[in-house]
Amino acid sequence: MHTVSWHSVGEMLDACIKCNICSSYCPVAAATDKFPGPKYVGPQAQRFRERGQAHSPDHSVDYCSACRVCNEACPSGIKIAEINARAKAQIVEDRGIPLRNWLLGRNELLGKAGSLAPHLANLAMHNPVSRLAAEKVMGIAREAPIPRWSTHGTFGAWMKRTHAERLRAERKVVYFHGCSTMYYEPEVGQAAVAVFEHNGYEVIVPPQNCCGLPMLNNGEFPAAEKLYRSNVAKLLPYAEQGYAIVGTSISCVLTLREEAAELLDIEDEASRKLRLAMWDMCEWLRDLHQRGELRTDFRPLEMVLPYHVSCQSRAHRMGRPALDVMALVPGLDARESDARCCGLAGTYGFKAEKYEIAMQVGREAFQFIEDQGPDVRYVAADSEICRWQLEHGTGKKARHPVEVLAAAYGLYDLEARRLEA
Amino acid sequence: MYDLIVIGAGLAGLMAAHTAAQAGLKVKIIAKGLGALHWGAGTVDVLGYYPDEQTPIERPLEAVLRLAEAEPGHPYALVGADRLAEALQAFRALTVELGLPYVGAGDGGNLWLPSPAGTPRPACLAPQAQWAGRLEGPGQGAPMLIVGLQGMRDLYPQMVAANLAKLGYPARAASLPLELVTPRRDSNTAQLAAALDAPAVRSRLAAALKPLVHAGERVGLPAIVGMKDHPAALAQLQAEIGAPVFEVPTLPPSVPGMRMYAALRHRLQRLGVRLEINLEIIAFHAEGGRVVSIETETSARPLRHEARGYLLATGGVLGGGIASDYLGNARETAFGLPLALPAEGEPWFRPRFFDPAGHPFFRAGVAVDRLFRPVDVAGAPVYENVWAAGGLLAHADPIRERSLEGIAIATGMAAARQAVGALRVAAQ
Repeated sequence: MHTVSWHSVGEMLDACIKCNICSSYCPVAAATDKFPGPKYVGPQAQRFRERGQAHSPDHSVDYCSACRVCNEACPSGIKIAEINARAKAQIVEDRGIPLRNWLLGRNELLGKAGSLAPHLANLAMHNPVSRLAAEKVMGIAREAPIPRWSTHGTFGAWMKRTHAERLRAERKVVYFHGCSTMYYEPEVGQAAVAVFEHNGYEVIVPPQNCCGLPMLNNGEFPAAEKLYRSNVAKLLPYAEQGYAIVGTSISCVLTLREEAAELLDIEDEASRKLRLAMWDMCEWLRDLHQRGELRTDFRPLEMVLPYHVSCQSRAHRMGRPALDVMALVPGLDARESDARCCGLAGTYGFKAEKYEIAMQVGREAFQFIEDQGPDVRYVAADSEICRWQLEHGTGKKARHPVEVLAAAYGLYDLEARRLEA
Repeated sequence: MYDLIVIGAGLAGLMAAHTAAQAGLKVKIIAKGLGALHWGAGTVDVLGYYPDEQTPIERPLEAVLRLAEAEPGHPYALVGADRLAEALQAFRALTVELGLPYVGAGDGGNLWLPSPAGTPRPACLAPQAQWAGRLEGPGQGAPMLIVGLQGMRDLYPQMVAANLAKLGYPARAASLPLELVTPRRDSNTAQLAAALDAPAVRSRLAAALKPLVHAGERVGLPAIVGMKDHPAALAQLQAEIGAPVFEVPTLPPSVPGMRMYAALRHRLQRLGVRLEINLEIIAFHAEGGRVVSIETETSARPLRHEARGYLLATGGVLGGGIASDYLGNARETAFGLPLALPAEGEPWFRPRFFDPAGHPFFRAGVAVDRLFRPVDVAGAPVYENVWAAGGLLAHADPIRERSLEGIAIATGMAAARQAVGALRVAAQ
């Protein structure tokens, strides 16, 4: 079984100069007294966390949302959010995991189960009585923006159904859809496939499973490791053949290429190969454009589009690829929000005791969107989590940048969220 | 494709980007971290002390002339007194536009402002909110009431007042309950400043403070008087207390610095400048005496950035532009540029930590020509399309001299002008 290790953390502690910039920028510490700030629960409390010690000295680390604003603010390069993630895992190792967090870690299972009868599942989950019950019994916030199962079938079913229509071409790309596209937002995957094919790429969708991020976030490292290793086994053959493996869920991509290996201390050749083969969708498109190979036959999209920078996008340290490619669309005025976090942060804002904190953190993002004027109809974000929270907080329709691009290619109806016939 | 990539998001980098973007260049800033504005007192220090002298300077703009003669390689010698004065003017005008006006003595002389330790420190320009705290000389000026909040860790009013009084500036201290500003048991300066963005909270603080103030006193508060709504917060407190109010800088991170960083960042965004934080340069490619591209570290493969020119504003030893180790190696972190270091055999550090003459190593940096291009030992530019500014420049010890922001603003703007000129010519 995997035990939590503090590999790569030790030396970092001495680099902390206690400057408090992390705590000054931490959006959670600004919203609640229950979280004293990254410096305290991270580098400081870490001094008292020893292997085998029965109790973590600071349980408030549970209130860290893992947004990583602290990592970005730290002048000494300390990975505070990763220290916190390990501390959470140690707590789970010491005392087990609450049923609610166990369940929230299993979004793939939930996705599969609900997709058997999505209408029924939506009815069963999304009614006031069951939401109230879920809050009282499980601690899942009743107002939280839990996604609805797609009632047009899963992404996988759509790929099967349209198999004959799919482009066959010399150039091929591997698509990692993630659970959210599979079960909740297959439209994102359809838009991605349309954009790939428009650029002459045949899309391969290999077997894959949950990236493990929800479990890593909830401190379930051993279960996350199983998922990660399973994905490595499934995807490695493609990486070895030189295919780019491109994902539309920016958090899955981050987990598969860095976060899982980092937190689980996996440093093998297979991980390294996968890491170098994986791309975020917009990052891949930007690279295609830099090589002069991206089709730029975009129709004008005359609109102001607030763009929320997801925490995971920042954590990739790859600049703003979505803005770079959306800048190619004539008429499109994509505006970068400097909000620190949408608040939802993985499964954080689904939890009853954290829902209000998540909404307060999200205010900055909601306000930025409001400030862009009443005519704003859509907002864009690379992470499904942010999209759900932004829709919940502003009432605007949230889209993945690839949907915007597909619409600009004339392939996709941004309003109805479906491919043009 | 960008015209200019500015590397570094401190005052030098932000001002360089602003200058270049206003001149019409397409600019991107990349930076490893948030920048030195978060560390300073929020003032613009131009020159407080000559190297090796302990008598403070009264008129920095005149003193710069003497400095330039004694230290021909000093950044101010390259800028010249006129361009320095011009840059400071432009900066002041910009701060007015940004709604965070800076003020200075009419004659350009240094102001003396209370430090968080309660000692006078020289600054050429200060945020409006620090103006009423001027120390005009022992025994002069209105007596001060320094007010803190109980449980706030980043400013100790009793220490500030006691030290000021010891130096002959009449001052006394008072503490108010933290609950006036926040219901929370513990808050940092940024959170307290955000709490004071609410007019009702300001009124509560003013009502509690007003009875403590003696006639004729001015009131010093920690620099937490509002974050986004700072000017209104200051005005409301002054009106409701009925006395001049000034901010005393706290321990870092600096709220006045954070305000300025946010304001400059918004302005740059409106000018179309992209600002990308957390990018660290790991490689670069040069051809025919020009830097063609740079690469930054990501979660996977290196990310390539291309521009027609590159402006380094990465800071000095403390800012991260120069890395060093205990074996005596030092290197410029972005392009591996030659460094002007203490001469062979000369020690980097003097034996006393607080040696009044400072430490030779802190004068290390990148030497540049008159066009702000980094040069090699022979004095020839290393790359045609690379410029440098700010704390990275050699032959200055900005912290010891109290010249950090003056050098940042003046050289940031001057280097950006050179870049604009050169890139325009190249485009024609």
